[in-house]
Amino acid sequence: MADNNTVGTTGHQWDDDEGFPLQEYNNPLPKWWLYSFWATILWAVVYWVLYPTWPLADGFTKGILGWSMHGEYQQEMDAAKAKQKVFNDQLAKLSLQEIRKDNQLWQYAISGGKALFGDNCAPCHGSGGVGVKAGGFPTLADDDWLFGGDLDTIHETVANGRTGQMPAHLQAAGGSFSDAQVNDLTAYVLSLSGINADKTAAARGDALFHGDAACNACHGDKGKGSLKDTVNGQPPPPVGAPNLTDKIWLYGGDPGIVRDSIAKGRTGFMPAWAKGSKESGRNLDPLAIKQLTLYVHSLGGGQ
Amino acid sequence: MQHTTIEKSIPLMAILTLILVSIGGIVEIVPLFFIKGTIEKVEGMRPYTPLELKGRDIYIREGCYNCHSQMIRPFRDESERYGHYSLAAESMYDHPFQWGSKRTGPDLARIGGKYSNEWHKAHMLKPKNVVPESVMPAYPWLLENTLKADDIEKRMQVLAKVGVPYTEEQIKNAKTDLTAQASANADGSGLTQRYGAKVPKADFDGQPDRITELDALVAYLQMLGTLVDFSSQQATTR
Amino acid sequence: MDQNLARTYDYEVIKKFTIAAVIYAVVGFLVGVILALELTFPELNGNIPYITFGRLRPLHTSAVIFAFGGSVLFATSYYVVQRTCKARLFSDFLSNLTFWGWNLVVVLVVITYPLGLSQGKEYAEPIWPIDLLITVVWVAYFINYVGTLAKRKEPHIYVANWFYLAFIITVAMLHIVNNLAIPVNLTDSYPVFSGVQDAMIQWWYGHNAVGFFLTAAFLGLMYYFVPKQAERPVYSYRLSIVHFWALSFMYIWAGPHHLHYTALPDWASTLGATFSIMLLLPSWGGMINGIMTLSGAWHKLRTDPILRFFIVSLSFYGMSTFEGPMMSIKSVNALSHYTDWTIGHVHSGALGWVAMVSFGAIYHMVPRLWNVPLFSTRLVNVHFWLSTIGVVIYIVAMWISGIMQGLMWRAYDTFGNLSYSFAETVAAMHPYYLIRSIGGVVFLAGALVMVYNVAMTLRSATPATSTQAA
Repeated sequence: MADNNTVGTTGHQWDDDEGFPLQEYNNPLPKWWLYSFWATILWAVVYWVLYPTWPLADGFTKGILGWSMHGEYQQEMDAAKAKQKVFNDQLAKLSLQEIRKDNQLWQYAISGGKALFGDNCAPCHGSGGVGVKAGGFPTLADDDWLFGGDLDTIHETVANGRTGQMPAHLQAAGGSFSDAQVNDLTAYVLSLSGINADKTAAARGDALFHGDAACNACHGDKGKGSLKDTVNGQPPPPVGAPNLTDKIWLYGGDPGIVRDSIAKGRTGFMPAWAKGSKESGRNLDPLAIKQLTLYVHSLGGGQ
Repeated sequence: MQHTTIEKSIPLMAILTLILVSIGGIVEIVPLFFIKGTIEKVEGMRPYTPLELKGRDIYIREGCYNCHSQMIRPFRDESERYGHYSLAAESMYDHPFQWGSKRTGPDLARIGGKYSNEWHKAHMLKPKNVVPESVMPAYPWLLENTLKADDIEKRMQVLAKVGVPYTEEQIKNAKTDLTAQASANADGSGLTQRYGAKVPKADFDGQPDRITELDALVAYLQMLGTLVDFSSQQATTR
Repeated sequence: MDQNLARTYDYEVIKKFTIAAVIYAVVGFLVGVILALELTFPELNGNIPYITFGRLRPLHTSAVIFAFGGSVLFATSYYVVQRTCKARLFSDFLSNLTFWGWNLVVVLVVITYPLGLSQGKEYAEPIWPIDLLITVVWVAYFINYVGTLAKRKEPHIYVANWFYLAFIITVAMLHIVNNLAIPVNLTDSYPVFSGVQDAMIQWWYGHNAVGFFLTAAFLGLMYYFVPKQAERPVYSYRLSIVHFWALSFMYIWAGPHHLHYTALPDWASTLGATFSIMLLLPSWGGMINGIMTLSGAWHKLRTDPILRFFIVSLSFYGMSTFEGPMMSIKSVNALSHYTDWTIGHVHSGALGWVAMVSFGAIYHMVPRLWNVPLFSTRLVNVHFWLSTIGVVIYIVAMWISGIMQGLMWRAYDTFGNLSYSFAETVAAMHPYYLIRSIGGVVFLAGALVMVYNVAMTLRSATPATSTQAA
């Protein structure tokens, strides 16, 4: 390109002490630039007529389309609802067991359950329920259940939450047993899953387990947990006491951690998803709870 | 007026610029203070309890807003993921607002009550221990640092000055309420009388003998988005 | 021409600000690289509270915008206003006050942010005593600048000064209103505004920090250095008038596009979107004037890497001022907001435009300030290529990750259920965070080349040569 000016300069000059002085051509505004500028202004004016824009004394111009972001949201939600209506009507009507038998409906349910699980449940139970490193959050992809792995029990757990309470035993932590006694209990609990421990200590722990400490009241006479064991021939109360014999540990099977659990006790808390979350707007409606139940049931350990 | 007149005069240039750059701000900001419905009429909003307020200060100190939003947009995917879209009323006592601008981590507007206190503790100590995909740093010092709240009354007084409706009684009992909320066993009747029955009260960090920064932060997180009860009322639309 | 005039200029403060700018560039980019790596490898902070992402990110943004960008603007505006007015700076005292005051601000920011002392408002994190100090420095800057303008020999104020003046005035207004707060103690305060109003004021501030700090002021820089380096007259005086006033008027409205679909009312959101669209052509006015000024000097691009910095920076400016209005359209914003796309957009503006036009200006000024030739033009060229490649890697990575993230968040399976959990989208970002870090490292390497080149140039300047023009 030769020269870019079509007209002369403005005649003003700055900084001419050294190098090329600053000057300005007086070229007209580029046509395409000017027309494009007017076009954007026109577009904006049209937009202002169509959409809510200008604040007024008490309110604002609503625009002739009557658009609002919350209206748009309502439409989006209604459309989604309409699309899923056929499935959702069925989900609402049928029992969990019936849904489980209808393959297409079941596929639909666990697809919804998976989506819900990923953002609501996975932070504690891991993606796909495979568990997490931190202690106290049960793995769901195995068949080791605390409260039960059948559809109705899972449904109850998801909807209303669970609290698992293991009391503290060490005197210093508010319990009623000495350091030595807690060590004995630890040795016994470890021996239940075949971990070598001091035999005599374990024997003393055994006595405490079935005696003064009454661990068997929840964990059962054989330590197999509230689901599988019995106490004096009767099932223990359904308190979610874990099976201590299966080498699956809720908080970790390291002797130090097991001792900690016995000494200081544990509180496991699973939020109630039907109630608490609805109040805060994280609305898991009954259909969502059903879908979650079926999804969790499908993870590998469903009974 | 010829532009040559303007460009020869500093006062003209400066004043014209100041006028022009003022207009947009005035039109966009001022009406937000007086147009009714800008902040929806809702029930349940209350000022932060002393412990939550300290937790919020820690949230700001750690710069959580750099990665977490507290603003759920009215989209289907966001309401399915996080809950009901956020209302202006829900941040009316937020000095400063913490809506955020980036979601490197998920939205926190309705994190309250979603997970247990134990989860929050485990997560803050090492996020990857509960969420292997996480890129959030660990915050072990929160569990170690004893919460400093000597000036809690002063903080509430300042907030009262800028419009947060703290009562004299709330300010007077700030330290009592703070201690009560961070304990599972302490008498919380004063706290619930002053802030409502829904106030989460617990030994949030699992250390009953002391109140740490983690107690405060978890107390704050556990109430986020829980004040307005969406099950009993239709949120007012503008 | 009149050498006596040139000798009356105060170059000392400009030299100091120029050296500060070069140092702060490296610091700001380095912190950016550390942050990028922390997102890639989260354990990298070693459980040290002071360098967690949340505390360090404000340090990065403040270091690049206010420490690096600010120093460049002080240096260039003092250089430009003296040379276009043929007058020494109004007051040596005020010049020094702005230099030491501004650097004190930077030092205090570097100390307070890692300690977790923050107002909690983006790009306005400094605590209230620092805000007061900024205000004092800014008033001194305004007086010094206007005082110099008043001493000008040419009755017409050159266009570069219009932009600098608008920048100084508007930033003062934004800074004061957005930082109104009541102190609790020496370090803590609570802002006067809350919730939706605070959000609107924050983004009125935040967007116009971009508009006037990073756009208008750097356009002022461009209007001096591009014609001077290209040795061509500015293309169109008329265009500069129209786009200056249109830009000043329209930019201020664009803030609400940061708050689309939030609890900010619909009407405010519409104003933000429409004014952002109308802002496109006024923004481009600066690009056209810059590029058309260069046209006719294309052959110089082959030999002059400083001009290459200018042409590429103007291209990035044009691209990001096109991308910005697009992202302010509500439906596009619905996808881009909260994602890395925004981060990519910011960096195409901040690295591609602001940093590169600054590098050009620094390379133009250094030989004239110290009165020695640049140590190496070849190294300027190396810096140019490292910068360009670094920016491109960075923004492409962020485009992909941002758009992917936005699409994954709203993806539905055949049954109409969400396809991905949030955690899955985080995992998907990992490779792009790594690529982005590499882009940042390349860009940082360029800045280090600049440090070496400038240092070697300064070494060759004897006291005699450097004072000759001062």
